[in-house]
Amino acid sequence: MSITEGDVAIRLRGVEKRFAGATQPAVTSLDLEIPRGQIVTFVGPSGCGKTTTLKMINRLIEPTAGSIEVLGRNVGSMKKPELRRQIGYVIQQIGLFPHRTIAANIATVPKLVGWDKRRVAERVDELVELVGLDREMLQRYPSELSGGQQQRVGVARALAADPPILLMDEPYSAVDPIVRGRLQDELLALQRRVNKTIVVVTHDIDEAIKLGDRVVLFEVGGVVAQQGPPGDLLAAPASPFVEEFLGRERGLKRLSLLTVADADLTTGWTVEAATPSSEAVEVMRANGLEWIAVRDDNRLLGWVWLDDVAAVTRAGDAPLHEFRAHVTPSTPLREALDGIVTSQTRVAVVIDEGRYLGMLTIADISESVGRGTG
Amino acid sequence: MLDVLAQASLRDEFVAWSWINDRWDEVWEHTVDHVQLTLFAVAVGLLISVVLSAIALWWRPAYGPITWVTGFLYTIPSLALFAFLVPITGLGFVTAEIALVSYTLLILVRNIVAGVDGVSPAVKEAADAMGYTPVRRFLAIDLRLATPTIVAGVRIAAVTVVGLVSVAALVGEGGYGVLILDGLRRDFSTPIVLGAVLSVVLAVAIDVALLLVERALTPWARRGVAR
Repeated sequence: MSITEGDVAIRLRGVEKRFAGATQPAVTSLDLEIPRGQIVTFVGPSGCGKTTTLKMINRLIEPTAGSIEVLGRNVGSMKKPELRRQIGYVIQQIGLFPHRTIAANIATVPKLVGWDKRRVAERVDELVELVGLDREMLQRYPSELSGGQQQRVGVARALAADPPILLMDEPYSAVDPIVRGRLQDELLALQRRVNKTIVVVTHDIDEAIKLGDRVVLFEVGGVVAQQGPPGDLLAAPASPFVEEFLGRERGLKRLSLLTVADADLTTGWTVEAATPSSEAVEVMRANGLEWIAVRDDNRLLGWVWLDDVAAVTRAGDAPLHEFRAHVTPSTPLREALDGIVTSQTRVAVVIDEGRYLGMLTIADISESVGRGTG
Repeated sequence: MLDVLAQASLRDEFVAWSWINDRWDEVWEHTVDHVQLTLFAVAVGLLISVVLSAIALWWRPAYGPITWVTGFLYTIPSLALFAFLVPITGLGFVTAEIALVSYTLLILVRNIVAGVDGVSPAVKEAADAMGYTPVRRFLAIDLRLATPTIVAGVRIAAVTVVGLVSVAALVGEGGYGVLILDGLRRDFSTPIVLGAVLSVVLAVAIDVALLLVERALTPWARRGVAR
């Protein structure tokens, strides 16, 4: 996937970083283009230079060689404060100012760039709503908030002056897995509204896959082992290193990227509720079915056992059982698979706004994952 | 004749209350002088120390020499320092303040540097990344968050200076030292005790006042932690 000229937000050319006293460079002649309006995740083992690369973008670390352009301007030619006020920054330890209220923390950059009081106050209100914080918290101090709340404030502070670019350094490593999952979902929802260029550094491949429109996988020494949309990496790892880093469950990870809409559905055996039972039993016997789904036009009512149908006059009169696994076209396949393996019928029924679309089986899922791997 | 007799009898008492009761106006004047000399010395000392600390924090190699020099000043006996300064700066306010200020520097510089060093690196990195200029960060973030440690230093410095101001009477300045010197010259215990006791009371009062200042300056430190 190549990127056209105007769509590049950040461009690194031949960037190198050697720390004083280190034998190996942290980053070696790195070329990288980060497309505008996308989330790009930097992932790799520790010491791979991903954080160093991130910090060179806003010049917290200065490169030894090479050039970095942000929105077409060479960062080396800009004054650091001027550059940084255009780039939001979120770190693992959050780094809220403990002596300032939440409102004042969020207002940091707008105040630095000299917005008037009213505009700052309006913006703080907007951001509180955007990141899902309680307005009551505005007058509290950071130490009075939970880790997850503090991280939301950190994001609000980073977005305060509406910077086109947001850099995040291991933003969710310090919070527990449940909160982390929720914050990741919030970031994705937020991105649909704000449409920023976001670079996220993480050591967690699952996080990189979940958040990234593109994933850049680094090897030690700041060398890019592979980059591209996460599905491409999972489908075709470029080297044994990439394959190993992606982990054993590559197939399952791809399932979390694909949705039910990506799979070809089995039509599934169904009968109308009004169908005489003799007819239904005939269909089931002919196809070796032990159960069959019962529908009322587009609506799925449930499923019935063969023996039960035989005992009544119409298919719909037999005791109906509910399908456990209901999915929609936008459900990730991984979640659908989970539903299938825990249901009695071994299928997930696909329903879109009340309309029955079909059934999903394990075979359908294998088929869709198999596609593209070659 | 009666007066002499009265004086003689006053001298027999360790603390002659009647002598003190006649001189409250004078005592008040000494108090004002003592407080002024102290606060001026601490304020100037704090200003100089902030500059010295900024230099030390900006360029670490400077920290060693700064502590050597201020440490050396701190170890000179106050009497010797006055004796050294009088030929140069004469008797009076300037001489007294040079000596007093020089005693605050070591304590203040050490506490400011330690306080700023103690500010979380994440907070400093966040401030840099938000686009703070170095000077603005130092004033608005680093010094502000170091306030508890800095005030702790100011309290020690202030208490030290309150004690030293008594010696400043030797170079012609006011304060409780005047009472003590007077008592020593006349071999009369009442003003000596009065000066010493008031000096201690003042030191405690200033210490408590600074504690209250610290609480007012750090409202965030006393809020409960919700985690």
